[in-house]
This record gives sequence, structure tokens and C-alpha cells, in this order.
Amino acid sequence: MKYLSKKIPYIALFPFLFVVFCYEFLPLVELAISSLTGKQSGSIGFENFIRIFTTPLYQKSIINSIYISLFSSIIGLIIAFLAAHFCHESSPKVQQRMAMILNMTSNFSGIPLAFAFMILMGNTGILTLLGKNFSIPFLDGFNLYGTDGLMIVYIYFQIPLATILLIPAFNGIKPQWKEAAIILNANSFNYWVKIIIPYMIPSLLGTLSVLFANALAAYATAYAIVMNNYALLALQITSKYKGDVQIDKATGGALAIILILLMVIATVINNYFMKRSVKGRSII
Amino acid sequence: MTRNNSLLSKIFLIILSCYLLLPFVVTLVYSVFMEWTNGIPSGFTLRNYTLLFSDIEFWLSIGRTILLCTVSVLFTIIILLLAMYVVVVENNKLGNYMQFICMIPYALQGVILSISVISLYSTSESILSNRILMLFGAYSILVLPYIYQGIRNCMNSIDAKMLLEAAQMLGCNKFIAYIKIILPNIIFGLLISALLAESIVFGDFVLANNITGNNYQNVQVYLNKKMFTSSGLSSAIVVVIFFVVFAITGFLLKLQNYRKKG
Repeated sequence: MKYLSKKIPYIALFPFLFVVFCYEFLPLVELAISSLTGKQSGSIGFENFIRIFTTPLYQKSIINSIYISLFSSIIGLIIAFLAAHFCHESSPKVQQRMAMILNMTSNFSGIPLAFAFMILMGNTGILTLLGKNFSIPFLDGFNLYGTDGLMIVYIYFQIPLATILLIPAFNGIKPQWKEAAIILNANSFNYWVKIIIPYMIPSLLGTLSVLFANALAAYATAYAIVMNNYALLALQITSKYKGDVQIDKATGGALAIILILLMVIATVINNYFMKRSVKGRSII
Repeated sequence: MTRNNSLLSKIFLIILSCYLLLPFVVTLVYSVFMEWTNGIPSGFTLRNYTLLFSDIEFWLSIGRTILLCTVSVLFTIIILLLAMYVVVVENNKLGNYMQFICMIPYALQGVILSISVISLYSTSESILSNRILMLFGAYSILVLPYIYQGIRNCMNSIDAKMLLEAAQMLGCNKFIAYIKIILPNIIFGLLISALLAESIVFGDFVLANNITGNNYQNVQVYLNKKMFTSSGLSSAIVVVIFFVVFAITGFLLKLQNYRKKG
């Protein structure tokens, strides 16, 4: 009896466990099971995955997703690195203003962002027309509704996020390092390549993996721009569960598992580098 | 730093700011002019806004969005506070499991969360196949990581466990101490994570479009539908959405700065 009454407070866990069980655990189990249940045979196995890896459309979706995510992340990271560096050097007033702009624009995403880019760079977009009138090479006849267009929009939404993530790392740079480097006769190049970059590597790679996962899972922007007429993992998965066609759980589930695996890889890399960076700092 | 360097940084930051603000500014200008074809907009008008604000569908979608935001975020806060009671008061070891469970949705994000919920419940015969219920459930999971992090950080920063032990020593019941001592102390931090979660639900399109779609349009789904019929109206919606989200995040930043100073 005493044992039981000691356990009574545990009732408070039930609502949480119930919601997590119904909307997180069970759906994931269902996803895993349907991905392993063959579409044609109905038996358990890797039939769906084999079909995905041998179907050109799905191959292209996986490749496009990885390509766009990785490329937009790297470009976004490079611009964000410079932005965070210049922010770090600026006066507190400028820093505050930049923080506001970055926060504002990092919330400008999804459908609204896609719409804004359609006005800017769509077929009759303002910049596209300017490009046509003045025959500016990149803008003249720019196609927003394809890989290039998606890349431009993805890079746009990566920059504010990446900068916000990198600024704290720059704040960890101590002025004494520069002094010490100058005393030891290091020039500016040495200081950057031998001190700052190695110090930043964990933060850079960690940020890169966050950006990669962010782009991989992005759906709304891509959907608004190219609808379902483009081979992209997130779009292909969703199209299996929507529309007039019957739900295709087998293919959709297997594609979703592939997306989850890619996300997990990015997260594991992130955790690894975050842990290393924490360790590195605690030694100092 | 040398003068040269600071000039360079200024130029870079100004160009970057212009680039980042360009899509929004263009949408804003586009929404208040009749025509914009030859590089210069012409014919100032607020017609798009009067049309938008007189559209009952728009107000309905805003109402639904606010309902979705408040109910799902409040619900998640309540279930998490109850669960955290057990973790903090009864059994600290559960904390690790709880963190793991709460961080999973962060890796799932909208696409997988929505299709897995549809896949499981759309063919069900029970009340669980109700699309609106599915949406509320999915939103609760979506905001779980953000609210959990907020609550946990607050509890750690006020050292909730020590406070509770002190209260118990003074003869206070554990649950009452949790409500009367811990909750008032974390309410501020809770507000911050709740606002963050609100802005996430407000900006959501994936879950709403996949799970309920046209049957229960939130403001993002409404925008997506209008994009095919009127670009003027759509630009006005984009501006309204942006200002709402900006107001929420601005308030959030103010609160965070206030807490840092306080």
C-alpha cells in the first residue's frame, strides 16, 4: 500500500506520455512498418527501398535534395561567416541593428518567401524584367521554377539562420589571442588560418549540419515555387499522401525513412562537433 | 581594427541588409501599387488591403490560426509542466528519457510528422481520424522541443530541486510547492518559449496543408490558395503575415533583453 501511494504522483506523466505515444511514437512505428511492407508483394522486406533506388524519379529526388541542401548550406555558411565576422567587429549599435534584421528575415520563410521571390524573379518578376531590358546575364530569362531558382531561395533563407548561429562563436574569440599572435610575429594570414579557423571548425561544421537538415526538410517554399513538378525528396514524400490518387504508404514511408536517415546523419555529426567544441573550451 | 577594415565591414553589412530586406520591401511596394511593369511602380492604392480586410474567409483563416496557436501551445505547456513535476520532484533519472523524447520532433520536422500522422489515422474509424484533432495533436508534438527546452532551462537556472527541498523542509506539500514556488519563478521564461512556439505554429504551412488542407484553412493555406487567383491580394497577405510574425519576435527579443538586464 505504501509502495502504491508513493507511485501516485507518476499519474502526472500520463497526459504527456499519451500525447507522445499517439502522435510521435505510433506514427513513427507505422511509418517504419509501411516502409518495410512491400507495395506489390505485401510481405516484409526491403522491396520498397530497392524500388526507390532503381527508379530514376526517386534517385533524382534524393540527389537533388542532397545537392540543393548541401550547396545552399555551404554558400550560406560562407556569407554568414563573413557577416558574423563583420558584425563582431562592429559597434554595439550596429550589432543590435543587424540582430534585428537577421531575426526579422529569418522568420521570412515558407509560402510568403516563395511569393516574394516570384514577384522578384519569376517569369515576369521585377528583376527578371530589369534583366531583360538591360540584358543582365544572370537575370535575363532567369528560371525561378527549377534547380537554379530553388537554390537562390534556399541560399536566401540559410543566411540569416547561419549568421545567428555563428555570432556566438565569434564572441568566444578573445582579444588576447590576437595580441599573443602579434607578439609571436604572426601576420594576419597566419592568425586567421592557424588560430581562428581551427577554433571555429566545430562551430562551422555544427552550423553546416543544422543548415543541411533545415534545407532537407524544407517543404513550403519548394512546394509554392515548383508544386509537385520537381524531383525533391520532401515534395515526393508528401505527394504520396495527398491528392486524388490513393495513398501510397509503401513508397511514401520508404522515402520518409530515407529522409529521416539523412537528417539523423546530419544531427549525429552536429552532436559530435558540439561535444568536441564544449570539451575544447573547458580545457582552456 | 584599422579604418580600412571598418569601412569594408560597413559596406558588406549594408549590402547584406539590403539583400535580406529586398524580398520583403518589394512585396510591400507591390501591395500598394496598381502596376509595376517598367521598373517603376505606378498608381498608389490601398485597394488590396480593403479587399483583403473585407474578405470573411481571411478573418476566418486568421481566427483558425490563432485558435490553433493558443490551444496547441497551452496544451503542450500543461502536459509538459505536469510531466516535469514527476521529473523534478519524484525521479530525476527520467529527465534523460524525457529529453530524448522531446528532441525527436526536432529531427522530424513538418513533412515527416504530418505524413506519419495521416498514414496512421486517416483510415481509422474512430474519433482519431478527425482531421482537426490530428492537426492539434501534430502541433503539440511540433512545439514540444521548444517548450521543453524553455522549461528545462528555467528549472535549471532557478535550481528547482533545491527550492523544492527547502520548501519541503519548511513543511510544504511537494505539489503545492511546485505550483506556488516553482511556477511563478519560471513563468517569464515560459512566456518566451511559448511565444517562440506561437511564431512556429503561426508560420506553419506543411502540417496545415497536409493534414486538414482546404477543410480547415489556416492563414498560410489561405495565402497559398490566393496566390493562384490574385497576386495583389497575396502580396497584402504576405505583408500582414510578416508584420504579425515580426511583432511576435520583436516582443520576444524585448523580453529576452529585459531578462538579461533584470
